[in-house]
Amino acid sequence: MSKDRKLHSHGHGHEHGHRHQHGEGGFSIDVYAYASGLRRVNPVFKVLFAVFVLILTIGLDDPFVSLFVILTMAVLSIWKGKVDVRGYCSLMTIPIAFMIFGSVAIAAGFSRQPLGDYNLSLHFFYLYATKSSILKALFLILKAFGAVSAMFMLTLSTPASEIISALQRLHVPQMIVELMNMIYRYIFIMMDTQRKMKNSAQSRLGYCDFKTSCLSFGGIASNLFIVSLKKANAYYDAMESRCYDGELRFLEEEKKVETIEVLSAAIYLVVLVGIHIGVKCF
Amino acid sequence: MTTKQKRIFGFVVALAALFAVGPVSNAMHIMEGYLPGGYCIAWGVVCVPFLVLGYFSIQKRLKENRKSLTILAMCGAFVFVVSSLKIPSVTGSCSHMTGTGLGAILFGPCAVSILGIIVLIFQAILLAHGGLTTLGANTFSMAIAGPLVSYGLYKGLSKAGVSKRISVFVAAAVGDLFTYCVTSLQLALAYPSEQGGVAASAVKFLGVFAPTQVPLAIIEGILSVIVVIGLESFAKSELKSIGFLKEEA
Repeated sequence: MSKDRKLHSHGHGHEHGHRHQHGEGGFSIDVYAYASGLRRVNPVFKVLFAVFVLILTIGLDDPFVSLFVILTMAVLSIWKGKVDVRGYCSLMTIPIAFMIFGSVAIAAGFSRQPLGDYNLSLHFFYLYATKSSILKALFLILKAFGAVSAMFMLTLSTPASEIISALQRLHVPQMIVELMNMIYRYIFIMMDTQRKMKNSAQSRLGYCDFKTSCLSFGGIASNLFIVSLKKANAYYDAMESRCYDGELRFLEEEKKVETIEVLSAAIYLVVLVGIHIGVKCF
Repeated sequence: MTTKQKRIFGFVVALAALFAVGPVSNAMHIMEGYLPGGYCIAWGVVCVPFLVLGYFSIQKRLKENRKSLTILAMCGAFVFVVSSLKIPSVTGSCSHMTGTGLGAILFGPCAVSILGIIVLIFQAILLAHGGLTTLGANTFSMAIAGPLVSYGLYKGLSKAGVSKRISVFVAAAVGDLFTYCVTSLQLALAYPSEQGGVAASAVKFLGVFAPTQVPLAIIEGILSVIVVIGLESFAKSELKSIGFLKEEA
């Protein structure tokens, strides 16, 4: 919980800096985003830059480009964004389960006859893998991690509220932006309520075995829903009494796009394409 | 190794593979960067008609009653929170509900498509589950296909006179399983195997994710039933306001 304390002492961000009990970060992304060294950069610019890097990483589909993106984005997030190295590494492990299963399924195949470069008899059928399929899976892992690092560059430096306002500038319908703004705020309120309910259930042995845990979990979820629906009405009244007319307006810091940022972003994208062409030529 | 030893070794490997899958299991979000560009765009395009439909249905609901905006937002937040909670499990693994099946039963499939895509965006940017380029594919499997099946099953079973609890269970569990089948198919289409093509590849992806997803679907069904029971006994008036108990209103 040390991050929560840090957040409180800084006095900005959410009061409910809730750490997802995963051992894998979770909401800490939000905490990093508010404390990031790259926060003063214009959010629309960051969104566009991240999207272009994503498109190039996936479109070029080149292991060297992916490796370059992984390294440079890590440096950018850690050095400029001031994310601590351990935190960054543990965030990188979030998609690892999916990646392992997915890549095993791509690298290995099964058949009735022994095929491929490596195979293993499992009595009913053979598991086999070819060198090319293993290589394909490895390159895919690199590409996916490249894309994940590009996304982390964005999410670790831009709070969700700024991403939403960037979406608004990029002409996402007003109603959806409105819903996103509210949902984002309600998530923290609900998380807080849920944590309190879970604490009280836990202190009354609500999670002593599997069956009780299921009952407690379901009970908490349904109670959470009831409480939040009641709150939703109160929130609407509160908004209406403050002249809500279908548009929420937030005070935003003006963040100018600097020429040097655009220039370095453009150079970076050109370098990515350059690496791809260079590798192909040699 | 003798044949017998080989056989034992093979069996042990199979067992180990089964258990290795147990400890960690996220909901089946296709991770960022895992799909080739063409598929990202194609799945995004497939989602568009459903999203437009959802947009209009929400707009209509808001015109009737502006107050339902905060209620819808709460529903979205609820789906997010439920899907980010660690659910009880036997093996001590860390797994999550999808929550969209329950959402479809409570709020209808149209509203869930829009709420679902918003929830998926937040899952990507706050939890790093799923991603921005795979948003289209994930939206189709989790916010459109799964909820549609859940909703259809729930309505169909209710009409056929099956008790509410059983229909909620079947709807949530099968919806979850369907989500997992669609995701496997999406992966198989993008990465067909060398022998046997898409079909063999789909079997591989289904097989690899089955040990985590099948028990998860059953637990999701049970939890959804418990939630619905809780709601029915304490929140009749609220359920009417979101249209879940319309027939009795």
